[in-house]
Amino acid sequence: MARNKFDVDESLESPFDLGHLKRAFKYISRHKVKMLLALLLSACASIAGLFVPKITQWVMDEAVPNKDVGMLGKMALLFLGIICLSIVFTVIRSRIMAHVSQEIIYDIRKDLFAHLQKLPFSYYDSRPAGKILVRVINYVNSVSDILSNGIINSILEIINLIFIVVFMFSTNVTMSLIVIAGLPIFAGIIWYLKPRQRKAWQNQSNKNSNYNAYLAESIDGVRVSQLFARQDVNLSIMERLAIACRSAWMRAVYISNSVWFSSEMITQLVFTVMYIAGVYWLGGAIVSFGVILAMGQYVGRFWQPITALANIYNSFVNNLAYLERIFETMDEPVVVDDKEDALTLPDITGEVHFNDVTFGYEEGIQVLEHMDLHVKAGESIALVGPTGAGKSTIVNLLCRFYNLNSGSITLKGEDGKTYDITDVTLNSLRNQLGIMLQDSFIFSGTIMDNIRYGRLNATEDEIRTAAKMVRADDFISEMPQGYLTTVNERGNRLSQGQKQLVSFARTLLSDPRILILDEATSSIDTKTEKLLQEGIQALLKNRTSFIIAHRLSTIKNCDRILYISNKGILEAGSHDELIAKRGAYYELYTAQARDQGLVDE
Amino acid sequence: MQQIKWLWSVMDKRFHRKHIIALVISAVTSVMLLINPSLTSRLVDEVIVAQNPEPLIPILMTMLGFKVLRECMRYYMVISLEKTSQNTIFNLRNRLFTRLQYQDMRFFDTHRTGDLMTRMSADADWCRHFLSYIDYSAVDSVVMFLSTSIYFFFVNWKLALALVCVTPLLMLITKVYSKRVRQLFINMRDKLSEMNTAAQENIAGNRVVKAFAREEYEKEGFDKRSSAFRDSHLAINKLWLSFYPFIEILANAMTLITVFLGGLFLIQGELTPGELTIFTSLSWAVAHPMRMLGNLLNDFQRFSTCANKIMEMDLGKPSIVDNSCAVSHEKLQGKVEFRNVSFAYDGQDVLKDITFTANPGDTIAIMGPTGSGKTTIIQLLARFYDVRQGEILVDDCDVRKWKLQELRGGIGTALQDVFLFSDTAEGNVAFGNQELTFEEVRDFANRAAADDFITKLPEGYDTIIGERGVGLSGGQRQRIALARALAMRPGILIMDDTTSAVDMETEQYIQQQLKELPYDCTKIIIAQRISSVKDADQILVLDRTGAIAERGTHQELLKNHGYYYETYCLQNGIEIEGGND
Repeated sequence: MARNKFDVDESLESPFDLGHLKRAFKYISRHKVKMLLALLLSACASIAGLFVPKITQWVMDEAVPNKDVGMLGKMALLFLGIICLSIVFTVIRSRIMAHVSQEIIYDIRKDLFAHLQKLPFSYYDSRPAGKILVRVINYVNSVSDILSNGIINSILEIINLIFIVVFMFSTNVTMSLIVIAGLPIFAGIIWYLKPRQRKAWQNQSNKNSNYNAYLAESIDGVRVSQLFARQDVNLSIMERLAIACRSAWMRAVYISNSVWFSSEMITQLVFTVMYIAGVYWLGGAIVSFGVILAMGQYVGRFWQPITALANIYNSFVNNLAYLERIFETMDEPVVVDDKEDALTLPDITGEVHFNDVTFGYEEGIQVLEHMDLHVKAGESIALVGPTGAGKSTIVNLLCRFYNLNSGSITLKGEDGKTYDITDVTLNSLRNQLGIMLQDSFIFSGTIMDNIRYGRLNATEDEIRTAAKMVRADDFISEMPQGYLTTVNERGNRLSQGQKQLVSFARTLLSDPRILILDEATSSIDTKTEKLLQEGIQALLKNRTSFIIAHRLSTIKNCDRILYISNKGILEAGSHDELIAKRGAYYELYTAQARDQGLVDE
Repeated sequence: MQQIKWLWSVMDKRFHRKHIIALVISAVTSVMLLINPSLTSRLVDEVIVAQNPEPLIPILMTMLGFKVLRECMRYYMVISLEKTSQNTIFNLRNRLFTRLQYQDMRFFDTHRTGDLMTRMSADADWCRHFLSYIDYSAVDSVVMFLSTSIYFFFVNWKLALALVCVTPLLMLITKVYSKRVRQLFINMRDKLSEMNTAAQENIAGNRVVKAFAREEYEKEGFDKRSSAFRDSHLAINKLWLSFYPFIEILANAMTLITVFLGGLFLIQGELTPGELTIFTSLSWAVAHPMRMLGNLLNDFQRFSTCANKIMEMDLGKPSIVDNSCAVSHEKLQGKVEFRNVSFAYDGQDVLKDITFTANPGDTIAIMGPTGSGKTTIIQLLARFYDVRQGEILVDDCDVRKWKLQELRGGIGTALQDVFLFSDTAEGNVAFGNQELTFEEVRDFANRAAADDFITKLPEGYDTIIGERGVGLSGGQRQRIALARALAMRPGILIMDDTTSAVDMETEQYIQQQLKELPYDCTKIIIAQRISSVKDADQILVLDRTGAIAERGTHQELLKNHGYYYETYCLQNGIEIEGGND
């Protein structure tokens, strides 16, 4: 799979289709009733608003000429009453719509985030984290208003428009046709602008995404940048990305702003033509003055909603670019997922079978080929071999982080049945496996919370016990706030070795049937490692374990050592057996022994 | 207000005039809005009522002319403001990015990535929004209100006064509202940042999430933040809606006063019918700005919340900067001297009284238990933090008197926590030295035992390596990081547990290569393996408290029977037993 870099635009293959709108509608339709109510309230408020000119008219035509102060007062009260009513309607509508739009954001974000949780490593591996982040946060924020208030307002404007058209035509058909004649011109302009506008906003969202990706990466990698005194180069890259953002933005606003500009122009043109036609062409006899007067007002009232609709449309087009990205992410195929009828994996014994397993990360490049392996319950297995030979791959496949190309992996349940890992839910599978990864990720929060991540309902004592077992308790207790010391991923609070110990404790706490240690102690000093090994000895007793390590001293006591090379298991056996065999393991072992200074002695 | 002043200073000077002109245009065009309605009334009076078609065309053309002029000015204004705001945001991004790049480590220890991202994207966007929308809308509203009021005063001062009386009330309401909404905006801003952080860490830690099957837990956690963010929005909406009726009533009071007080005045003969028509036809021009005010107020409060966050970042000076008396060095030679260096982090002692000297070309190895401060030593050397006591000299000059760029540019470090960039393999190796030819890149990759596997990648050196080098094994990442450090041709080469995930054979190859580097450098090696450190000129062993417990060569330390000897036995003693079998 091609990887994406921070300065490469992510291409969007699919042309815009109505499907996006339909999907958006799914989120909106949940709030149908509320939105209808809001629409109704808005309509009521508008109708109430219509009485205001009427009251003005009564005052001017009746109260004032009759010098009727009493009626004036009554009218004033009526006016106040109507205003209050309209305010009440508006307040309720706003309240409802605020909820609706926030719920829509919340729902979209929830679905997006949930989908992201299912996506495979390869999704995360193939693009900068910042590009994913910007979709979950910024894009979702942007689309909510257009999906809630945008829709309500456009419906209102359309209703408004229909009323005006009816009134207009009932006043004078010929004149109305002149007013409406501007519409095709406007539609033509919109039709011309639309593809350009869409492209411009898509481009803008791409540039923005690139900028965010580089930003996130720069923050995470700042230590390296400073160490390599690379700030100037980074600055120039940043500047380049910011310039791209700026010009994409400018291009988009040039186009977008021409929409209101043209609608204003057309309104005035129509107004002019209408008056000229009214006065000259139709002649004073056919069209009464009252009609021209009324039509003069209708021009404004007809084009006002059209301009408003154009503006809504405008923001709709630029938010569409975001909506497309959001749905695109939701469409990202989930490679590893529960089968529809996936079972919950019952307690397992720890017995594992790899049957004729073939796997490769990239098409055509196999990492493992036709590998068979049978691990007995409680057995400890060591995986050794050159870097990149596929040691981590084997344990990754067991955890079903990837799907096999062919073959199967099965686990034995305590009920005596055999379970293929693809037949059970991922959750129940991984809950019984404890994998300690090469890179120990620390979440921002307390050390206590970081360890608790392994088992959410663990008590404080259990956490301390786990930490003690891996010899992490010593340094944690020495910290100013002990277990409640706040740490974060980038922070220097913990050394690399300490981070490993914390994530080791986290793994132990999860109390897995099968324990997988992938270079779990590479940054830990030998003495601590030794103590740690003694500490977990009892724990390992009845568990199956897979241990990957380069320091052979770490794995010498394993029941079985597998030498992984050449797309499969090259040698297998206990330390003594393999030494006696004088093969690859023996070579490796003696090389290490020589290297350790054994020969000097 | 100080936010606006600050934002103004971020904008290029040459755009200041453009921005002001645009605001003036905004003011002019909002007054122009009053012209066409008055022309329409002339049209009605002179053409239609008087049944005289002659002035029709001139009036219509004047109107059209005014409209075209106004809208063109308006378009020009909007685009100008977009330009000036884009310029500001561009400067702002560069400025903040520069700040970030030169910020000291303490800053990064205490600020989360998600929070910094929020500042640089969402917060910065509100600054743009202020310059491209909020400010001109405010000018529009104020000018429209004032010009209409002044006009009203000329027509009939009593009625105008009655209208203007409403303003202090409005001021009072907005003041109370502003005060109360500010805290809510700050809260919303924090919730956004928290949500951002949760998502960012979830993405960064996605492997751990999957390994522990914590998807549901993560979803719950994110939901909590997401709903807190939603609720913070709703809280603002609620407060706003409790003030909105008052603002709306005041805005409507404009019509109420014109119609009814105006009507009363008319009855009493204080006002002519024509005058009243002017008032009624223009009452929207005073009511509309009042309605706008509420929205603008919200926008402004939000802007100032965001601007505060960015200002804090912009004005936050790093504590580690070039000293005023920093001297320039040609090239770093590689002499390193620690004199009684002590260091504490947040009140916890990390290093105690560290003293050692390395001459150019020497190899110094540092060992010690986990958390004994090994990495801290090199962080102090690269001046990521300043020492609390003692001094560190490089080429006989205190690191605090070095120019940071020259100091760090002369030190090549391969950190244990490997961070690679989403760039090609070649780009990653050449990270610290852009001028390398491809042959040189390959040469250095080869020395770090990385050439082999890089050439086997789908697109060789042009393969894009994901962030943090995901997709590569730990050992492969470490080798690229080492190649990257070697490629700098540094005067001091630091290897912080660089080969921990590399297999022994490869490590041996790398060590051989390090002896034959095409340039001279002092090497500082931090490692757990005896094999990595045993050839060093001097080995320092730190103890748990961060003090040097042992020092000497391999042979000397073996005789010492201390930590080094124990480690040696653990790593070898087991082997001796095994070998005897």
